[in-house]
Amino acid sequence: MIVVRAPLRISFVGGGTDLPDFYRRYTGRVLSTTVDKYIYVVVNKTPLIPKISARYKISETVDRPDQLQHTRIKAALLDLKLKKGIEIASFGDLPAKTGLGSSSSFSVALLMALNALQGKKIKSFEAAESSCRLEIDLVGEPIGKQDQYAATFGGINIFEFKRDDSVNIIPVYLDYKIRLEFENHLLVFFTGITRDASSVLKEQKVNINKKMFTLKQMADSVFEFKTLLESGNFKEMGKMLHQGWLRKKSLASKISSGFIDQLYKAGINNGAWGGKIHGAGGGGCISFLTPVDKKNAIRQAVKKVAKSHKLSGFKEVPIRFVQSGAEIIFNSER
Amino acid sequence: MSNYIVEFSKKVQTALNNLPVNEITKSLNLLEAVYERDGRIYVFGNGGSLALATHWVSDFNKTVFSHHLDDHSRRFQAIRLPTTEEELTAWANDIGFDQVFAGPLQNYLHDSDIVIAISSSGASTNVIEAVKLAKKNKIPVIGISGFDGGKLHELADAKILVRTLKGEYGVVESVHGAILHLMTNYFKDYFNHLWTINQKKKKKGRRSF
Repeated sequence: MIVVRAPLRISFVGGGTDLPDFYRRYTGRVLSTTVDKYIYVVVNKTPLIPKISARYKISETVDRPDQLQHTRIKAALLDLKLKKGIEIASFGDLPAKTGLGSSSSFSVALLMALNALQGKKIKSFEAAESSCRLEIDLVGEPIGKQDQYAATFGGINIFEFKRDDSVNIIPVYLDYKIRLEFENHLLVFFTGITRDASSVLKEQKVNINKKMFTLKQMADSVFEFKTLLESGNFKEMGKMLHQGWLRKKSLASKISSGFIDQLYKAGINNGAWGGKIHGAGGGGCISFLTPVDKKNAIRQAVKKVAKSHKLSGFKEVPIRFVQSGAEIIFNSER
Repeated sequence: MSNYIVEFSKKVQTALNNLPVNEITKSLNLLEAVYERDGRIYVFGNGGSLALATHWVSDFNKTVFSHHLDDHSRRFQAIRLPTTEEELTAWANDIGFDQVFAGPLQNYLHDSDIVIAISSSGASTNVIEAVKLAKKNKIPVIGISGFDGGKLHELADAKILVRTLKGEYGVVESVHGAILHLMTNYFKDYFNHLWTINQKKKKKGRRSF
């Protein structure tokens, strides 16, 4: 049996510039950090049971991988030519589709686990690239590459997406004081609405030509955010998030909604410097950079908005930043 | 006599002024990641470097959480290899001196672990053998070297090189000692700071980290 754990991520600036339609024309850049919420993938050989079993939200047991409903597991097994006698299960600290990159964290963990089961350990670029290939090329998801890289490498990083499809990693080194201060100025809420990234990203993809200028601004703003972060200037970082929010909203109609706008306004009106909706948008998680003494007022205000929309799933997500990327945490095959 | 003393301290100062800051930062992050996944840290070297490894393990295991030992059930697990002189001589005598670190490392190694290899020349065969074993298993390696860094510098993921003229063992090992103490101090200060924040949150009744 093998257990692999991969972290979720929060991206702050540059989201959307990791799509090939953009980075094939202009270098895409994203700044993100991994957080202490994880996806776990467990794989096990079952030599006496000639089936494929996949357990996630539902449970599937089939004779051949091509009969599976789970697109990523199906594609990975077919690609690795694993035909039978294997069970796969996944667990998560948060629900799927929260905008924190969980589906790519799952893919990275899945591929590391399936490879390890065959005695092959994949890490760093190999793990990230094969996950991108699985999701984008084999499954055909209209997503970018930032999540696979964030989940694989861990920590706070800038990822640069180059025209030739290569990815450059620039780690952002912070000492513990600034890192803990950053966490302390950040509030993250799960809206209670889950959504599929694909539907938003499809619209965004169509819009890319029109939005080239906005996306370039987003990609270029990454270094400014890094400089502010290194000096612990959370106020200016918050203002940059606010600018990013306005830009991102202009990219696709589904990114925001009446409810999300109200939540965001509640945060800003109660003292937040800025904030953002995570992932492709339309639901998922929303976060604010805020003065520490405004946190309680913001908590109360956003909860009120959620209550008025009868969103029982709305809750605060306490997070810590982590250094670890995807890792094999148990391997009985060693 | 005073000239000799000044000359030596100048060499140490020069080396200290040129510490590879980014690589040390990277090492600290790698160590934090191993703590997050509850893995273990194996550290080894020859002669004075083995003494540094032993010294560091005793400090690191004991003092990082010394502020509030009872509040930290998860602590660092640093292990010097080999753990006993008996193992050292057994591996050296029965298998060969080049296996004194790789042999015991193979006994312990899990995917969630990390290795710190210390070698002034960066060229010690037995150190390199253990580093190669770690690399084969995709285990991160922090390489603490001197002189021109040698093979260790080439193979390590975090490359802490104290660059000096060849043969300056005293200078290199003195600075290695300072870097290792820096690692211990960093985590001691970090966890103490975190503890203070969590105490404040507890008082306010909020969920702690």
